[in-house]
Amino acid sequence: MLGTVKERQRTSPPKRADALADIVLPDHEGDEVRLGDLWRDGPVVFVWLRHYG
Amino acid sequence: MHCRDHAVQLDRARSEFDAAGVALVLIGQATSRHAAHFRRRQGVELRVLADERRETYRAAGAKIATMGELLGPRSVSKGIMHSLETRGKIHQGRTIGHPAQLGGSMVIAQDGTVTWSHMSHEPSDNASPEEILAAARKAAHRASTQG
Repeated sequence: MLGTVKERQRTSPPKRADALADIVLPDHEGDEVRLGDLWRDGPVVFVWLRHYG
Repeated sequence: MHCRDHAVQLDRARSEFDAAGVALVLIGQATSRHAAHFRRRQGVELRVLADERRETYRAAGAKIATMGELLGPRSVSKGIMHSLETRGKIHQGRTIGHPAQLGGSMVIAQDGTVTWSHMSHEPSDNASPEEILAAARKAAHRASTQG
């Protein structure tokens, strides 16, 4: 129900962001962004929102 | 409700992230059209990326909640408190995306190292903007001393 899981999961943040680097996502204007390009020139903070609600 | 409040609070702190030389980017589920609507509706100016397939959520190690975590007393009571504190301006709207997907925050340095992270254990478990900013400043300082 609601897509929940039965067993409690653990979070598993990586030590390096290599798996994120080549992911390409559209932004709010529809422009495609390769995530790795965002930290090429300096640190970046990503905040994952739960959902738009 | 928690994610709206969190996004609005972070948006208010965006000038401090800019001053620290750190890019602050929100990532949400659903499409870029939904992301644009979310920004307009919440008055958020931060860049929002749309991850409809939740690929980055998995790569970041975010978790899916159990029913107890999703609708537990801690999460529900925090949501009610936020709604009261904001006089109902921030409240739960229609859910777009996987309802049990939790989020989190992560600071990534120029060399790809994850220098800090806080992935949510339940829906109301968000790092404060101050906490995220402190971690961001630390990463920026490290970059300036190494560069």
